[in-house]
Amino acid sequence: MSSSASHAHHGEANQKPLVGSMGVDSRKLGLWAFIGSETLFFATLIVTHLIFYARTKEMLNGAGILKELDPRLNYLGIELTTVLASLLLASSLTMVLALAASKARDWKKFRFWQMATILLGASFVGGQVYEFMHLYHVGLKLAPSYALHISDEVYNTIASLNLDPSIVTLGEDHGHKAAIVPSLFGVTFFVMTGFHGLHVTIGIIWLLAVYVKVNKYPDSPENPMDIELGGLYWHFVDLVWVAIFTIVYLM
Amino acid sequence: MAIAEQHVTSTHSDSAASEGFSWRSWLATVDHKKIGIIYIISAFAFFIIGGIEAMLIRVQLGMPNNTFLSADVYNQLFTMHATTMVFLVIMPMNVGIGNYVVPLMVGARDMAFPRLNALSIWLFLGGGLLLYFSFIAGGAPNGGWFSYAPLTQTRYSPTAGMDYWILGLGLTGVASIAGALNFIVTVLNMRAPGMTLNRMPLFVWMNLVVSFIIIFAFPTFTVASIQLLFDRQFGAAFFNPALGGDAVLWQHLFWFFGHPEVYILILPVMGMISEVLPTFSRKPIFGYAFVAYSGVAIGFLGFIVWAHHMFGVGLGPVANAFFAGASMVIAVPTGVKIFNWIATMWGGDVRLTTAMLYAIGFISMFIIGGISGITLASPPIDLQQTDSYYVVAHLHYVLFGGSILGLFSGAFYWFPKMTGRMLDEKLGKLQFWLMLVSFNLTFFPMHIVGTEGMPRRIYTYEAGMGWEVWNLIETVGTFLLAFSVLMFIYNVFKTLRSGALASNDPWDAPTLEWAIPSPPPSYNFLHTPVVTSRRPLWDAKYPHAVGDDHGPASKPSPVRYEYTDENTPGAKDIHMPSLTFSPMILAGGLTIASLGFIYINQAILGLPTRVAALVFIAIGAVMVFYAIRGWVVDSRKDSPYLGHHH
Amino acid sequence: MANHDTHVEHHEAHTEHSTRFYWIVGLVLAIVTAIEVAIFLVQDLFLHELFLAILIVLMLAKGVGVVLYFMHLKGDFKIFQFLFIVPFLLAVSLVLLMLTLFSYHVGIAG
Repeated sequence: MSSSASHAHHGEANQKPLVGSMGVDSRKLGLWAFIGSETLFFATLIVTHLIFYARTKEMLNGAGILKELDPRLNYLGIELTTVLASLLLASSLTMVLALAASKARDWKKFRFWQMATILLGASFVGGQVYEFMHLYHVGLKLAPSYALHISDEVYNTIASLNLDPSIVTLGEDHGHKAAIVPSLFGVTFFVMTGFHGLHVTIGIIWLLAVYVKVNKYPDSPENPMDIELGGLYWHFVDLVWVAIFTIVYLM
Repeated sequence: MAIAEQHVTSTHSDSAASEGFSWRSWLATVDHKKIGIIYIISAFAFFIIGGIEAMLIRVQLGMPNNTFLSADVYNQLFTMHATTMVFLVIMPMNVGIGNYVVPLMVGARDMAFPRLNALSIWLFLGGGLLLYFSFIAGGAPNGGWFSYAPLTQTRYSPTAGMDYWILGLGLTGVASIAGALNFIVTVLNMRAPGMTLNRMPLFVWMNLVVSFIIIFAFPTFTVASIQLLFDRQFGAAFFNPALGGDAVLWQHLFWFFGHPEVYILILPVMGMISEVLPTFSRKPIFGYAFVAYSGVAIGFLGFIVWAHHMFGVGLGPVANAFFAGASMVIAVPTGVKIFNWIATMWGGDVRLTTAMLYAIGFISMFIIGGISGITLASPPIDLQQTDSYYVVAHLHYVLFGGSILGLFSGAFYWFPKMTGRMLDEKLGKLQFWLMLVSFNLTFFPMHIVGTEGMPRRIYTYEAGMGWEVWNLIETVGTFLLAFSVLMFIYNVFKTLRSGALASNDPWDAPTLEWAIPSPPPSYNFLHTPVVTSRRPLWDAKYPHAVGDDHGPASKPSPVRYEYTDENTPGAKDIHMPSLTFSPMILAGGLTIASLGFIYINQAILGLPTRVAALVFIAIGAVMVFYAIRGWVVDSRKDSPYLGHHH
Repeated sequence: MANHDTHVEHHEAHTEHSTRFYWIVGLVLAIVTAIEVAIFLVQDLFLHELFLAILIVLMLAKGVGVVLYFMHLKGDFKIFQFLFIVPFLLAVSLVLLMLTLFSYHVGIAG
């Protein structure tokens, strides 16, 4: 989608080549259709995660150790993710302010808000990298089981229950006592949020490219649409996080 | 053409081919017609390869206890036969003909995003070649075209074949989504003045519907194959039940894509015969709106029937009832189309050209496949027939009897437009009858052996099961089928060398593409046509004829034949995007990087693990960055605001 | 390619918001997020189903805010609304159907 040659079609009379028979910009039309496609991409990732998380919960609940070993409650604290969600929401605001500034042809303001968006996005990605590293160190891995660090008390409780190894085994992780639970919670979580992070990264590159282009050609009448397109993609990426934040972290 | 003027070189070098063949004018092209032809030739080449695979399969099955192929090679062949026919033949053939014809039908100069269009063709070719590279790189994928888990896990598919399948189809998938976005924007936003949605030719309608199906169905497949790649390369276990994964999840995700996929294969072909039937009945399509909107309905319903491929799993009565009911509902819009096609011919001045024969062949064979489909939609019957040759018979009646016969109809119909020469009708009709008979010889007995219990995907069988005679007949049928394809190839070469020249409008057809020369100049229409009805060319030729709205056209159609080429006055002022190698380099980079990705955990070329793989990925990345840079330069050059031309 | 320029300009004049408006939308989104987190922290006070229902409503409210105002879908061309709403409904159907198929209430869980 990054580049379009729809304007290659300007005929004899048509002085506004970007506007076609639907009365809209071709690239914007294509981008909305692409966003629709991406919606199903993320829906599939999210539903896979939910299915396997529900299965893990069912299994732990049946063994009476759900509260102690629930991967979401024990791994995903909401402090960091609330900060990350706020960063991304704020970047959506700065993005729309950048677009408004460009429409008012206030390039100084545009540069400020566009750069703010890029920096907020970069902080989000940085925060996510930190979160992934943290989770790895406390036993959530890209593997079909997780090793939850537990206290001696919980360790002894589980040991006393004599549970089937297909539900939980006791062991060690990074020098801590850990309960090792066969579960795809970690794999599905990392793949889902990782692909979102990849999209944010692509969005940052896109916004940077627009920033550079607008700086180089401040008089181009294409600028507002270039900015709007980058913005649309950016808001969509934020929208996905609105869903992941609530569905995966809070619910 | 003159290339003396400086700005003409950038705008018109694409048409250099009109003076002789040049590789550059094809490999760097962004012209939708050339891209369409590259699609068609590639898909036809894969059709021959997939056909050879089918013949090898049939030789093996022609006699009981045959040892012509080993079980492993047999598995690779049936997997690649189906994967090829679905992803590398019918899909790209539809896209190729659509690429050529749709912009002409809507009166546009090109697709909406010509460079993205070029990227699609090269990504498709890269993906297809990557998939086939697996044969010489240790073994092709062998888990069947729907790659059921856990067969696809490393333990059961230890060769890299499955990885080739994932990444090869990943590349063609990206090509498909990019192509579909291009079609959506082209159809919605590039229509000539006056061509409202309800005046679009039905082939354009079906391409629009299919493009939406592609962009909504492919993401699920993409996610599922990414998850499978994580299973195989990074120790995840999405689809490995032994480690807590779920084999049935793969089936759900695959068929949520896979069922819409069969409409992706059939709907454009339905669009083709919806053009052929009215032309050769000299009568507008009967019930235009019903044919168009039943296509929309099929596209929509296609998303909620996927689990009818999974009745054998045992989903339980509630789920089975839901999916069986939804599947049977699809028979309604499909039946609507069939009745409308028949009603179109009814009372028409029918000309039995080869294209028309193939269209009628489509209808009759598709009815058989449709009826066996309805029986399979019923869970109790499906439980008897699933994984038997009855299913193989059903799917070949819709995909060969339907899609392939319809594609031959489209080929005979549009060949004159694409090449300027008429295919030999006599040879074509002979080919049609041979193909129709041998097709039924090959696939009809499969209903019988399937009902008698012959399972699909077995590499051999015992004598004395009562299957021998039928299998032998099927094998003989396959060879006759292959001969009929050879007749077509001969016809094409004969025609290209000495076939009769085609006028603008050899079939006396109703749609816009026939108003311009065969083959059209690079810019298509010198004057953007103005459309006042659904049959712009018929209404121009026969202003007083009665149409499907029971009266003559209300306004005279202003569409006129154009006899133009690159040297026509005014043609040089039409700005077309310049030649560029960037899309091809980008696609090549992604293909090479994918090849590296396959070996990320394996040693190749005698180098330690990862070294060669990382080198491939690095080369691919460099190519991608180089191509993106070139792409940016090109789009600046062609921009009406930033470009250097006036 | 029909020319609808006048229509476009007319139309864009309608969807232009002041920057003040965007700040207000941003503020509302921040407040809704804060409410979400607050409810999460005191979720034991609610019936679990009610807690989930409230969260879904708040999430949808945020999403609607982003889509309608930041992505300007409100007042934009119908075709964009179609292009977003159809796949969104399809995605929701996919999620609900899959969750139902994989729940322990319908048939087997896979």
